[in-house]
Amino acid sequence: MRKIKKILSAILLLSLTFCTGGNSKRNYLTYWSSNNTYEIEFARKMVAEWNAAHPNEKVKFQPVPEGQSSEEVVLAAIVGKTTPDIYSNMWQGDVEAYAKAKILVALDTLKGFKDFIYSRCDSSTIKEVTAADGHIYQVPWKVNPIMMIYNKKLLDGIGFKNPPTTYKEFFTAAERFQKQNLVNGRVTKWFGYAEILPTWWQRLFDFYPLYLAESGGMPLVKNNKAVFNNKYALRVFNFLRTLYVHDYFPKERLSARQDVFLSSVIATRFTGPWDIAHTEKFKPKGFKYDFAPLPTSGKKSELPITYCDPKNIVIFNTCKNPQAAWEFIKFYLSEKNELKFLEITNQLPRRKDLLSNPLFEDYFNKNPMMKKFARQTLHIKGIDQALYLKEVFDIISQAYEESVVYRVRTPKAALDDAEKQVNLLYSK
Amino acid sequence: MRKGKLTPYLLVSPYIVHFLVFVVFPVAFSILLTFFKWDIISEMKFSGFANYRRLFADRLFWKALVNTLYFLSIHIPLELVVSLFLAEILNQKLKFQGLFRALFFLPVIVSGVAVTILWQQLYGYNAGLLNKFLMYIGLGKVGWLIDTKMAMPSIAIMATWKNVGLYIILFLVGLQTVPKQYYEAAELEGASHWQKFFKITLPLINPTIIMVVILSTIGGFSLFIEPYIMTGGGPLNSTLSALLYIYKQGFFYYHMGYASALGIFFALLIMAVVIIQRKYIEKRT
Amino acid sequence: MIKKTIFYFILIVSAIVFTYPFLWMFLASISPDKAIGNLVLLPSQVTLDNYRQMIAKIPIWRALLNSVIVSGLITTGVLVFGSMIGYALARLEFKGRNLIFYLIIFTMTIPFQITLIPQYILMVKLNWTDTYYALIVPYLINALGIIMFRQYFLSLPQSLIDAARIDGCGELRIIFRIIWPNSVPVILTVAILTFMTSWNEVLWPLIVIRKESLMTLPQLVTLFVVGGRAESQLGVKLASSVFLATPIVIAYAFFQKYFINSMVSTGQKE
Repeated sequence: MRKIKKILSAILLLSLTFCTGGNSKRNYLTYWSSNNTYEIEFARKMVAEWNAAHPNEKVKFQPVPEGQSSEEVVLAAIVGKTTPDIYSNMWQGDVEAYAKAKILVALDTLKGFKDFIYSRCDSSTIKEVTAADGHIYQVPWKVNPIMMIYNKKLLDGIGFKNPPTTYKEFFTAAERFQKQNLVNGRVTKWFGYAEILPTWWQRLFDFYPLYLAESGGMPLVKNNKAVFNNKYALRVFNFLRTLYVHDYFPKERLSARQDVFLSSVIATRFTGPWDIAHTEKFKPKGFKYDFAPLPTSGKKSELPITYCDPKNIVIFNTCKNPQAAWEFIKFYLSEKNELKFLEITNQLPRRKDLLSNPLFEDYFNKNPMMKKFARQTLHIKGIDQALYLKEVFDIISQAYEESVVYRVRTPKAALDDAEKQVNLLYSK
Repeated sequence: MRKGKLTPYLLVSPYIVHFLVFVVFPVAFSILLTFFKWDIISEMKFSGFANYRRLFADRLFWKALVNTLYFLSIHIPLELVVSLFLAEILNQKLKFQGLFRALFFLPVIVSGVAVTILWQQLYGYNAGLLNKFLMYIGLGKVGWLIDTKMAMPSIAIMATWKNVGLYIILFLVGLQTVPKQYYEAAELEGASHWQKFFKITLPLINPTIIMVVILSTIGGFSLFIEPYIMTGGGPLNSTLSALLYIYKQGFFYYHMGYASALGIFFALLIMAVVIIQRKYIEKRT
Repeated sequence: MIKKTIFYFILIVSAIVFTYPFLWMFLASISPDKAIGNLVLLPSQVTLDNYRQMIAKIPIWRALLNSVIVSGLITTGVLVFGSMIGYALARLEFKGRNLIFYLIIFTMTIPFQITLIPQYILMVKLNWTDTYYALIVPYLINALGIIMFRQYFLSLPQSLIDAARIDGCGELRIIFRIIWPNSVPVILTVAILTFMTSWNEVLWPLIVIRKESLMTLPQLVTLFVVGGRAESQLGVKLASSVFLATPIVIAYAFFQKYFINSMVSTGQKE
């Protein structure tokens, strides 16, 4: 009997030591970054540097616990009251709703915030991040404009010294590429690839940037009404549909295989600057690649607008010491550290002096590809200021799957239906 | 007779507590929730029968239900045939019976996650092992996970592969209860192997068959991790299972009230199916 | 003779079908990424690079430890509570015994889908999300375990218990000192079954655990494979999958008979 008691109490003790409740007192700040490998590296360095200098206000860091998307995880953390103090991968589309639910700290109430933000950002960016109640709940941190990555050798091989810029050129290139790579009449390589999963945020990386490029940055939703059912969306749908009709884009989920761009199975892909570091790390010998603006239906005199995937920094109201958190953020975003951020992660800080500040000049001269992205930041758009954006993208995603990938409906019918559903969503 | 009349109650008290906290409360709360609109972050809003009305009009949910039934309709017969067939062979007093049994059982114990990751590679359209094999023997490629008609059957095949080892063993146990004299008598009358199988074996192991059917029905209704990893419910929602849809409503969009209504409805449906199956057994045995 | 050959042929082919995929996965996990596409039987080059990368990218050892702790505590709980309750139901007479027995049978028929969401909310309200409590406490008592213990205890001779009572043993002492040593098969069966089920559980951890350092092995591997951190490196994904499967396969190699028996006994419960 005594033995049993011993065992039971041992178990209890064990479980108590291992289980740390959510209420324990702590004198450090917690910080979540995105789970991009290079960003983790950057964050580790920054946090170590900060902790060495501020032993009394230490920061504990971890990448956002992965889910299908980081948004899902953050929402869950809010629900479970396990949010970190600082989170640096906040999707702009969520902030308005979070601000309304009063779970974010209004940063403009903190000392030194206003001076900082006005010296860092231009007025249009500040306007973009200001909430409906006039407060600012997020620091615009970084952008990753979506462009087209292409395999130089493969494009050279089909006589394209420059990548295609119009839909027509894109089709020509795709057709040539396909013919050249037939094996016993079978398609073995594809001109491009877009992830075919029906998850809503996948459309942020194919349909949405192409739509912005084609329409010159028109919104999807305005004043609680769907405005995306227009000729631009139709053109984008038809463009993508044609790519699937001719098997220029594969219907298979290639992301389950090894990296298909690096193994030259596909020639192009729509992606952001984060791919540079990845490509440099894993590319085979002699692999050459570059980036180009997104294709549009006709020639454009200037760069087409693209989606910039803005990610911002917020402080959750579970934070006991917001001013200290803000000091950490200020340290994180100091000029010197932003240069390091550029160098380590190849993502772009959202600051107005990106191309004019001599501090960054050297970096961009050494990294001509990043300069392309920096130039593209003059032609970018984030996301509409509206509620229910996930549901909207989900509805568009269904229409996309039906009419673009599997072609069980026409693009027109699918878009008409999507418009109706979105309007129904807002009318409730 | 013993001094402690309380002892039995003390012994079962952990169960009572657990039952109240983890069964009674959740079920009651779930039923209550179905009458509310709630995203957890904001206040609960009473919405009457709105969630149920939405449920009956939700085409996607019905599609998910049909998908789940479609999965069962492939999975169960396939499983029965394969496991019965292999059990019958294993029952033929062969050497290494134990070894084969152990090998067939291997997929049963391995985590479903590992199995799904593995099969995603086997099912690849252009570089998958299965299609490579089909091409090698001169057949065409199959769009395992990308063809809307094939995706669910593919998942059913994988699930069968994973579970069949268990059912082989259940059938082996069943087969060994069939009295030898029956076969001897049939042999005297010159019955062939297959005649014996259909006339004697099948009717006698009927209880095992029904048990296997019920087991795989319950298992099949909780189809989730396979489509979650492999297809995300696509292509065109053809592998969207009911549980995956409930999970999405609850934990993607935080429509807690609606997800609860879906959960209750789905659970009632499962219970109804299982009760019907049970009734059927009682009648037969 | 011909018939036997055909039988062996079928059995061997089936054995290959059931085991070769695992072999392939293992071989792919020790091949360089670009060689996986052509891998059939023997890897052209053996490397542990995938495992090294996996260990660098995700806290997989920590997840292994978490899984061991969680499954271990759950198994202990199920054995202790299950045998206590099973004993009371089988060997003691008290008012409401049948009621409780039928309650247990009834809970077994409730699909977990119905309790999933409220249980999550319960965890949130108890502040248990992102703690071991959420992973362990709801599973400490298992209806099937209770029933299996009850059935087994019914078959034990009454003289065993009577002798202990004459010696003045209390009920707890009877259960753990007298009954347990005489119930090794059922204890092993319940233990293996519980351990395996909790080891392979993935839906519940996905819902209640978001903190990386508390994730169980299957959860971490699922998120690693679905999420972006594998950097499209197939070999690394497969390595994590092998890592996930290995502990159970090793246990299976040692306790094969008990694994099979315990799974069969769940089947016969229905």
